[in-house]
Amino acid sequence: MTGLNDVSRRDFLRISYTAGLGLLISLYLPRCSRENLFSSSPTTTPTLPPPLDGPDAFTPGLFVTIGHDGKITITVHRSEMGQGVRTALPMILAEELDADWTSIHVAQADADSAYGDQVTGGSVSISTSYLALRLAGAVARDLLISAAAQVWGIGKEKCSSQNGKVIRLDKKGELPYGYLVPLAATLPVPEPGSVSLKPPEKFRIIGTAVHGMDDPDIITGKAIYGSDVTLPGMLYAVVAHSPVIGGSITAYDDSKAKQMPGVRGIHPLDSGIAVVAENTWSAIKGRQALILTYDDGPNASFDSEAEEQKLIQRLTIQPDPDELVAYYVMPYFSHAPMEPMNCVADVKNDSCDIWVSTQDPVGFKYQAAAIAGTRDVRLHVPLLGGGFGRRLGIGPINYVGEAIQLSKLVGAPIKLFWTREEDIQHEYYHPLSVTRVRAKLNDLNSLVATRNEAGGIPTGAWRSVTNVPEAFAHECFLDEFAHATGQDVVELHRQILYGRALDVVNMAAEKAGWGKPPAVGRGFGFAYHATWGVTHVAQVAEVSIDEKDDVHVHRVVCAVDCGVVINPNTVKAQMEGGIIFGLTAALKASVRVEHGRVKQSNFHDYPLFRLDEIPEIEVHILPNDALPSGIGEMANPVIMPAVANAIFAASGKRVRRVPIRAADIQMA
Amino acid sequence: MSAITLHVNRKVYPLDVDPETPLLWILRDLLSLTGTKYSCGMGICGTCTVIVNGEPVHSCITPVSAVEGKEVTTIEGLSIDGSHPLQKAWIEEDVSQCGYCQPGQIMTAAALLERNPHPSRDEIVNAMAPVLCRCGTYPRVLKAVLRAAEEGGA
Repeated sequence: MTGLNDVSRRDFLRISYTAGLGLLISLYLPRCSRENLFSSSPTTTPTLPPPLDGPDAFTPGLFVTIGHDGKITITVHRSEMGQGVRTALPMILAEELDADWTSIHVAQADADSAYGDQVTGGSVSISTSYLALRLAGAVARDLLISAAAQVWGIGKEKCSSQNGKVIRLDKKGELPYGYLVPLAATLPVPEPGSVSLKPPEKFRIIGTAVHGMDDPDIITGKAIYGSDVTLPGMLYAVVAHSPVIGGSITAYDDSKAKQMPGVRGIHPLDSGIAVVAENTWSAIKGRQALILTYDDGPNASFDSEAEEQKLIQRLTIQPDPDELVAYYVMPYFSHAPMEPMNCVADVKNDSCDIWVSTQDPVGFKYQAAAIAGTRDVRLHVPLLGGGFGRRLGIGPINYVGEAIQLSKLVGAPIKLFWTREEDIQHEYYHPLSVTRVRAKLNDLNSLVATRNEAGGIPTGAWRSVTNVPEAFAHECFLDEFAHATGQDVVELHRQILYGRALDVVNMAAEKAGWGKPPAVGRGFGFAYHATWGVTHVAQVAEVSIDEKDDVHVHRVVCAVDCGVVINPNTVKAQMEGGIIFGLTAALKASVRVEHGRVKQSNFHDYPLFRLDEIPEIEVHILPNDALPSGIGEMANPVIMPAVANAIFAASGKRVRRVPIRAADIQMA
Repeated sequence: MSAITLHVNRKVYPLDVDPETPLLWILRDLLSLTGTKYSCGMGICGTCTVIVNGEPVHSCITPVSAVEGKEVTTIEGLSIDGSHPLQKAWIEEDVSQCGYCQPGQIMTAAALLERNPHPSRDEIVNAMAPVLCRCGTYPRVLKAVLRAAEEGGA
């Protein structure tokens, strides 16, 4: 996966929306299942008529199966990495189905092009599925109502639904959905135009604070992530790679490694030397015992600091006398999800099963099929222990391919495992970039921004992608422009924004007490950005700088308008989490490359924000009936300029590169 | 390899293992207790935290030989049915995002409440600060521990 630049980003969105339409169309293919999905007998109570003949479950489309026992299984085709999609997508379908929320269960879709686009990225899971899933629910509800009308021998218009039951409007009876399944499964699926959607004021699930679908499993340790998948007879593998991305291992001595307890075999692969063992620890110990000779390859002399200087030199211009010019630097960042990369592969004679926590199941599956040498690949998607873009692509080292190759070689299921060090040092990074912004001081409309990215090491999508350097450069520049021209930066935003954007600006400013003098030693910073142009977010950060020049962020006020709110819990959580994710980038951690080697390796030198460092975070959601527009990547780009601007307000020091550390403030 | 008897979640496991193997890999690979997660492997992120004789321990750097004869509690053993006050508070406060670090967060908090059933806010912050979360669930971790502490702790 290489970087999504602006052009490919647009293509991506177009494809996503087209795929959404594909889903819509596929919804109307009758897919009535005659499988007995549930073994329990039909629910009957004394008030019900005799059981109906027909299938025990019905599946009116790709996304929902209703069992004879009333259990409703909603298939989620996007990947859960903490953004709440396994809760929100079922909420949307359940709303139109008028289901009892407690009867809802979730099934995770395997990789399957039948679902259209399965990529979880760009914060579009909700926006591309919203109408399709509502229609899927409405179609199922319509069939259940038709079935009930037949049972009662009355017109459909005399029936309605209520929380998992079809009711007669004359109040002379009600039938639970499960009871109606055998008949509903035999009815023709209605035409798209013949079902109606609920008006938003009738919503009773969408917009409510529903707990996460996976919470009960997470808090008891039962939730299964990729690294937790365990198969009978499975062996464990780690692979030794060149410390330089693009380098190779030219020779190895495995005489000691082979002798290590638990080590089953050493296997040279194209990408490195694999150690297969009876457990993870033996594999790690075996790898430590390998003696390796490297060729560092074409990146041997790559140095990120030199690249940064080159970019700045390339962009530097002589400003006109009436012009403001500034240069903003975004460094390489690591995704550093808490769960490092891993993959379980089980290759049999003519088939291959893969379990991998991925944001792109179909893309991974195609790559896996090419290596497995069979088209019969089933790719299963466990929970993701963090994604942030890291699991959109396999990356410079094909850990999925390694697992497949090793499973073939040893004839057993393989769990391929990465340590933290490999995860930080062998991935694709948020690209190092420099953005030059210039504008005539008497004309903000003359503003021109030019961004150059470094080549060299692999780069790719990192939460919010290009919005990160865009928002940082634009919002820091507006703050500088406001100061240079004697204006208030919020007032400046009010002049150039309107509608929903203006509303979030005003909300954040009002709730933060913008305009009131800060406490002694503190400063307020403001920023606004609409990530991907869709979700409006404004933030005010309040910071202080201590005698050692360390920055403390005391409070962040965040206003967000993401259209219809599916689950307010999740919107707030994503704003909080995005702010904290962004604070790590703004103040603490980045990646440096020297001699082609990523210098950082673990959380001691790639330090994440911690609980004792977090600010008070206030999130204000502006109600709106516009189509829902995504939340996962919306807060992260805004906090970085808000903090940089607050540092200026508190100290008079302008730092145009993150992470901003004490030394940067001293040198500014 | 040597014979080691391990006590985990009130069960007894006679094992024949390399005594230097970190407890984490024994739990995950041998006992199939995968609720305890790997993340840093050097005892600095807290994700792998389990409770040993009442104390929070980083299982990724603790040799299995060091816990022989001691009572190890993992997230699977915290309660039978997810009814520990912390587990309930974790749901009420909607703490989890990706959820991967949460067993380590909960076990760190459980060890705190075991030795200090009514910690102050500062005591909670100090106890929980070493446990990292990339999703940024910290505000809710804090709220959930406060809630559990108010509702009677462990």
